[in-house]
Amino acid sequence: MTNWRLWFGMISTGLILLIAIFGTALAPYEKDFMEPSGYYYNSDDDFGFYSSPYPPSKEHLLGTDEWGYDILTLLLYGAKYTIFVGIGVSLLRIIIGGSLGMWFGLSGQVEKKSSSIFSLLGSIPAFLIVYFLLIGITINSALSTMELVILQSFLMILVGFPGVYSAVYSKTGELKKELYITATKALGAGKFRIMWKHILPHLKGTLLVMFVKEIILVLTLIGQLGIFNLFLGGTILRLGGPPVYISISRDWAGLIGQWRSFVYDYQWILYFPLLAFIILLFSFYMLSRGIELKQKSTLQKYPHI
Amino acid sequence: MRITISLVGVVIFIFFLAAIPFSLTISNGDLALSIQSIYDLIQQYIGGLFNGESFTYQEGKDRILNIFTDLPSYFFTSFTYLLIAGFLSVCIGMLVSAWHSKSKKEWLKDIIGFFGTIPDFIFVLFLQLSVVFVYQTTGLKIAKIASRSTDENALLLPLITLTIVPTIYLIRTLSEKTYDVLTEDYILTAKAKGLRKGYVFIHHVVRNVLPFLKADIHKVLAIMMSNLFIVEYLFNIRGITANLFDGTLYQYNLVVNTLFSLLLLYLLLYWCIRLLIFILERVFAHD
Repeated sequence: MTNWRLWFGMISTGLILLIAIFGTALAPYEKDFMEPSGYYYNSDDDFGFYSSPYPPSKEHLLGTDEWGYDILTLLLYGAKYTIFVGIGVSLLRIIIGGSLGMWFGLSGQVEKKSSSIFSLLGSIPAFLIVYFLLIGITINSALSTMELVILQSFLMILVGFPGVYSAVYSKTGELKKELYITATKALGAGKFRIMWKHILPHLKGTLLVMFVKEIILVLTLIGQLGIFNLFLGGTILRLGGPPVYISISRDWAGLIGQWRSFVYDYQWILYFPLLAFIILLFSFYMLSRGIELKQKSTLQKYPHI
Repeated sequence: MRITISLVGVVIFIFFLAAIPFSLTISNGDLALSIQSIYDLIQQYIGGLFNGESFTYQEGKDRILNIFTDLPSYFFTSFTYLLIAGFLSVCIGMLVSAWHSKSKKEWLKDIIGFFGTIPDFIFVLFLQLSVVFVYQTTGLKIAKIASRSTDENALLLPLITLTIVPTIYLIRTLSEKTYDVLTEDYILTAKAKGLRKGYVFIHHVVRNVLPFLKADIHKVLAIMMSNLFIVEYLFNIRGITANLFDGTLYQYNLVVNTLFSLLLLYLLLYWCIRLLIFILERVFAHD
């Protein structure tokens, strides 16, 4: 049986990467283009006015937002931030957490009962920690978009890599007990060689699955921050009247966050960014499932009843 | 002893975390962290503990309110939501994973797994959108999509969201564990003795899965706590977390006290769920 999940995941992830790279060139409008509002008068019976938000139409495939910006254009411009930050942050989490986990897993004592300080920290979710760190600097920030993206990515790596670390640590601790490790040690192999030649090849599959799952977690974190108006690349807050939060970089989670109140009316404004975000998650999910199934088919036990 | 040390650690962490928005600033394009202001804030809070100033907060321009008059009811609201959701997800998780563990249907696992990866805020927004859609097409009001006041909180949709995310996590982990238990030799022995399937499940499988559930409570609670923020915010429920995001004025006292009550909430819930598992053990694993 062909592993259609893997193929589906690879193809859709590839398409998403293409969108992230060439999105700006594909966009049908300029980033700043606003569909103007106005009125028309054809005859005494046929007159009226038109104003944004415009529903999906031939000119605006996904409609426009409340100020007349084309939603498809904004999504295509923002894609690169969401996708590359998602991939980059999780890659660094895996590299840092994985190498530290392997290194300390090889040297540390096995099965030390994990201290409960980390479990009590569960009462303060990761996104809240990032929220407190960012709340003072993201909204109407003096930093440039790129600086903020780097800063935010750094914080997301910081809150995420301990999870990867502990998973890799315990896996390495298990692998360490194997006889071939003892044999290599007896032959005089150094710690780095054991790590590189014996532990890493074993963990490669796990790390790959973890990487794709980590992307989903990072995207969730970006999304949760977006709900609380901390957008990737900075937030513009307009006061004077009801406060309006606008995403500078137009990243997808930010668009969801800034339009989250379009539940009652003009739903397409909220609906399409949500759909885009879900498609993004779905393709990464399918990719991880595909890889998992591919690995699972080699090592399987069967139940007795 | 260990619990004391970790409690002290978390308390210190909370003091620092809450002070960061005040002390992390950008001056001339450079990020600066002022240790002095963190120290001042913490000192002020501890000083205020004795004259009661740390237990007040400011509302609006000049109203100073006492925390003990308002916070308990918010705390109770959050606690009720989480408790119901926690009990539901443990029970549903146990039941479904027993059935799901043996399922060969990979597409079903795909769907359950995908639901597990959808973030909570997308659930909330989609639930709200679909309730509005149903109302606009058929005129049926299924549920409230947000609370209008503290007296009539939205119930159904928040509970669905709070339940579904930890439940799916539990189904995924517990069904894996159940599968592992089913491959053990004692199950084969029980089968060879001619015991009925249901009997084997109740007396051998469930009791061997329960320890894994016990070990997973912290993870489940962490998921639920982070859901609570999103759910209370998007459904406009006046719970404990609203203190952190409400208003334009950032008050150190209020934030610290709210984080402490979150810690308390966490511990309370932990012991409630431990109690539930204890009852389950009495039922399934008594000798």
